[in-house]
Amino acid sequence: MAAPVSGGGRLCRLAWRRRAGALHSGAQPAALGREPGKVAAAQSGVAPWRAVVGLEVHAQISSNSKIFSGSQVQFTAPPNSLVSFFDASLPGTLPVLNRRCVEAAVMTGLALSCSINKKSLFDRKHYFYADLPAGYQITQQRLPIAVNGNLSYTLCVGAKQSQMVTKNVRIKQIQLEQDSGKSLHNDARSQTFIDLNRAGVGLMEVVMEPDMCCGEEAAAAVRELQLILQTLGSSQAIMAEGQLRVDANVSVHHPGESYGVRTEVKNINSLRFLARAVDYEIQRQIEELENGGTILNETRAFDYKLGCTIPMRDKEGKQDYRFMPEPNLPPLILYDAKSLPANIDDQQVVNIDWIQERLPDLPSVKRVRLVEQYGILPEHSFTLLNEDGLMELFEDVVRETQMNPKKVIGWVISELLGHLKQYDLTVKESPVNSLSLADLLNLLERGVISSSAAKQVLEELWKGEGKTPLQIVKEKRLELIQNQRELDQICQAVMEGHQEEVMEIKAGNKKVLNKLIGLVQRATQRRADPILVKQILEKKLSQ
Amino acid sequence: MLRAALREVSTALKEGQVSPTELCQRCLSLIKATKCLNAYITVTEDTALRQAEESEKRYRRGQSLGDLDGIPVAVKDNFSTTGIETTCASNMLKGYIPPYNATVVQKLLDQGAVLIGKTNLDEFAMGSGSTDGIFGPVRNPWSYSKQYREKCGQNSHLENEDSSWLITGGSSGGSAAAVSSFTCFAALGSDTGGSTRNPAAHCGVVGLKPTYGLVSRHGLIPLVNSMDVPGILTRCVDDAATVLGVLAGHDPKDSTTVQDPFNPFKLPSVIDVGKLCIGIPKEYHIPGLSSETLKVWSKAADLFENAGARVIEVSLPHTCYSIVCYHVLCAAEVASNMARFDGLEYGHRSNMDKSTESMYAATRREGFNDVVRGRILSGNYFLLKQNYEKYFIKAQKVRRLIANDFVNVFSSGVDVLLTPTTLRDAVPYVEFIKEDNRTRSAQDDIFTQAANMSAFLHNLGGVRNLCLKNIQVLLYSRQSLTSDLYKKIYVNLSKEYGFKVCIWEEASNLPTQGPIQERAEKPSLQVCTSTEHKWLQHYFLTGNAKPDQI
Amino acid sequence: MWALRGGRCLRAAWSWGGSRLARGATGGRQIDQNPEWQLEEQKPLPQKKVTMELLDHLERLALVDFRNWEGVERLEKAIQFADQLHEVNTEGIEPMDSVLENRCLYLRGDNITEGNCTKELLQNASQTAEEYFEAPPGNIPLPKLEERESFLQDSN
Repeated sequence: MAAPVSGGGRLCRLAWRRRAGALHSGAQPAALGREPGKVAAAQSGVAPWRAVVGLEVHAQISSNSKIFSGSQVQFTAPPNSLVSFFDASLPGTLPVLNRRCVEAAVMTGLALSCSINKKSLFDRKHYFYADLPAGYQITQQRLPIAVNGNLSYTLCVGAKQSQMVTKNVRIKQIQLEQDSGKSLHNDARSQTFIDLNRAGVGLMEVVMEPDMCCGEEAAAAVRELQLILQTLGSSQAIMAEGQLRVDANVSVHHPGESYGVRTEVKNINSLRFLARAVDYEIQRQIEELENGGTILNETRAFDYKLGCTIPMRDKEGKQDYRFMPEPNLPPLILYDAKSLPANIDDQQVVNIDWIQERLPDLPSVKRVRLVEQYGILPEHSFTLLNEDGLMELFEDVVRETQMNPKKVIGWVISELLGHLKQYDLTVKESPVNSLSLADLLNLLERGVISSSAAKQVLEELWKGEGKTPLQIVKEKRLELIQNQRELDQICQAVMEGHQEEVMEIKAGNKKVLNKLIGLVQRATQRRADPILVKQILEKKLSQ
Repeated sequence: MLRAALREVSTALKEGQVSPTELCQRCLSLIKATKCLNAYITVTEDTALRQAEESEKRYRRGQSLGDLDGIPVAVKDNFSTTGIETTCASNMLKGYIPPYNATVVQKLLDQGAVLIGKTNLDEFAMGSGSTDGIFGPVRNPWSYSKQYREKCGQNSHLENEDSSWLITGGSSGGSAAAVSSFTCFAALGSDTGGSTRNPAAHCGVVGLKPTYGLVSRHGLIPLVNSMDVPGILTRCVDDAATVLGVLAGHDPKDSTTVQDPFNPFKLPSVIDVGKLCIGIPKEYHIPGLSSETLKVWSKAADLFENAGARVIEVSLPHTCYSIVCYHVLCAAEVASNMARFDGLEYGHRSNMDKSTESMYAATRREGFNDVVRGRILSGNYFLLKQNYEKYFIKAQKVRRLIANDFVNVFSSGVDVLLTPTTLRDAVPYVEFIKEDNRTRSAQDDIFTQAANMSAFLHNLGGVRNLCLKNIQVLLYSRQSLTSDLYKKIYVNLSKEYGFKVCIWEEASNLPTQGPIQERAEKPSLQVCTSTEHKWLQHYFLTGNAKPDQI
Repeated sequence: MWALRGGRCLRAAWSWGGSRLARGATGGRQIDQNPEWQLEEQKPLPQKKVTMELLDHLERLALVDFRNWEGVERLEKAIQFADQLHEVNTEGIEPMDSVLENRCLYLRGDNITEGNCTKELLQNASQTAEEYFEAPPGNIPLPKLEERESFLQDSN
């Protein structure tokens, strides 16, 4: 496929086949996601399967205080120190809605092209658990704040991951709700310790329709959502800190038949695990069904050590959340420019239009801008946004250097990012910052050093010893010979020393020229610009 | 002095005729003397005396905080009070000491009121007799009145008295008894389906249920969040207005309070019922209504008519369903509100520790009485997926029909509705306990809960109920009239109309001695009105507590 | 206990003409001396099928037990009482969900105003460990009916 292909929103064109013996060895299931339409090598000869994946993403709202109480939101703190009387469900306490949480949800809804419900309602969802002090969670089940949106995300496909495919997933709704506390288990002494610091933190639950068909798509969709949330600032979405958690709903069916029974894989907290968990679950279901078994509508967890999903302890009897309207919270009313009432306190008004006008550029918009502004390729633009801080670094370097951005990008992605990946570092942790890189590229651009010399300098810079590129160049004597006459003389010397080769070239064997160039390079300790050398040699040979 | 109205006591305090400490001590000793009433669960003697002392200092400096400074008040034991045990008369919260004050309690304290104790109630405010709490039933002070005992035709044998004492009604019976027996000047109760008005009627005091949203519920341990309101019990209407003035207003901690500004008012003394249109809802005449009540109802209607008001019959056709509706919605909310009681963060905790679930189950079994458990189970039943539409949503639809009934009546020109409060007088305890709690509530709440239900009325700001000495006034205010939202309409039936006053002798004479003067007519009436008519300034005063005005 | 016969209630109302005012003993004109509803013999409505499965389900969901047959009867009576709602025709009527349906929600500013009261919170808890609330192990469902300390087991 030569050009990016826009994938259909609903139908996933991937076909899955069971990979013989794959599951039990614990190895990765067939990486079918990369080649739409292709099937794994080991075919079992059974009809193809389609997988359907839907997601419920819980994003912690980035705010100072919790959604219904005034206690602080912070990841680490002494146990039960960020807990108000309401969070601990002391009798008589009442919820009061945090305005910031409403704004965050509206921003997110608008960014995902949702319709914002001007009137939304709160409900209680009842179940008993040690980390849920009130015995119910306040959520929005009947009428959430935003509905019917869309998320576009990109997949890198093709042999070299260089082709970009745009996919869509429908957003069913976004609802505001409370997070629960944390329980820490001490299996040895069979005790559970409850920390309510997280209880009551505001969450946005983003429900994605089952428009995805494999782990890679799920991960890509969530990644894009994460970038959007971070751009908006409505959530920091740091999965490692539990600010973004995903529940995946997975089922399989034969093309043309109705959807199969789905299982839910809960509380996945990394993109890698998400992809693995979903793919594993798909394979597991396929295997199960092909062996004549059935799929239970159950909840499973992902064991990342074993790389598989395991059933969570089954609750005897069925769950019934007995949803009921939350009587302590009147309807949430949002306004737009038209419906804004005249004499109302500013603090009490959330104006959808006002928020819309102030939305920052979303990642997709930024990608397009980068391509247009700098002339780089779409896949480069994708990579720039995909790595935290890389886009900023790139733009900083471009600003500080005279080198064409199209050349800068190569250095940033292949060289710098390559090194970062090799040493498993983030952009923030890079020992080479944008200024150093810019200096280096300027040296290259001015012809002070050659490309290979520049790579050597980069290696040195990576050691982080604080030297500037120029210092390293001087130390290692990597400067290109600028003196034309000197170069001329060396070329002359080489030619004189290798008359046979000269003859061959003159006879028509152009390839031998490279040998001469190589000899010149050796004589100059690689401090000659090969292009220049070639020019000089050719000129001499033609005399 | 203990019999005086708030304003008088306040004046007396300001002028130094009596000191807050004296007042407090007198109330405390009266409480001790009337212990048999079982009106108080906790008497906060030390705290009260300290507060009285502070108040005294303020009076000496001439810096009193207001009309309530130094006034002993009691608070129903389902309001959170910092450092003071708050039990809701349940094993589940025995020993629970809240770390914060309910907003209404705080407002009283900020005005310098002296908190004299926490009063008894039905467990978690579920009941209409104040008989179903773990601390035992509350006795109606009227059980000891000469009139009642004569009526029972008995002499003062202790055991006969014991078996024939009357209930206070509920669930704020402790507060009503406290006020009625002069141990405090005002008390906070709560009203969900009549829990302030019912005991007020039975104990012969003034019971005010403010409009839902007028007074903060923050700190009131909820029964039904969408219907609960803190109630005010006092001995005369002026006092109720004073206390309401202190308590009302938006509370940022309670999202269900109205954000419009509240202007406290004083009741003027001008009376004119001439332009009123009184409606008598015919569906409120139900079997079981005692003949006495019926008599008084008719008499009240006549009185209004003779005073120049237009009295007509009106219809609220869905009245008979309101109690059913209330029952379903109430049970559902109760089931939800009680889910937090699991023993983990506060309250009773069972020793069972095999698993969280079994600990919760055991805690709730040990902590709740039958009534509470029964409502939790039926509430959960109505909320089940398969029943939600059939019962809960259905009840919500019927609620709208009931609400529309009231809207229709008030938009047809009627200003005030006049109805009974309860079916009959306070009954003896022995009779009361013959039926189970839900049945009793169904009967006793029949008139009062419609007002709580209709507090949710579409387009109507709400209903305010005032249960005066045996007269209950239901006041509506249309939401559209923001400035008049809280203007009260009172219909004044002055002493000329024959409503007499009951007076207690010094309570130290209880329970066996002292002549008691005539009781007021026992049955109580409700008067509902709408404030759409701005020009109406009607005041409802039934006889006040001063002996010289009889 | 009187039975509320909804249908009858409305029919009685329709048949009562506004002009017909009976004079009561005290001369009161306004209140008809005859009650609107008739006192009826409590005819038991067809009993709701309250199955053991339902009782078990409720006990698990509510974590509250029925304790004895009285408890079960209480539920049955409550359901029976609530069933009267079905006599009302509510076609085309919107459910009234909240008293506050025409008010809008108060929004508070995003300020830190609470928290930092670990000691006060833990004071009321019966079992704590350092600064945590202590709970027994979770995710263990209630034992089966037969093993549970519930009277329901005997009623099989």
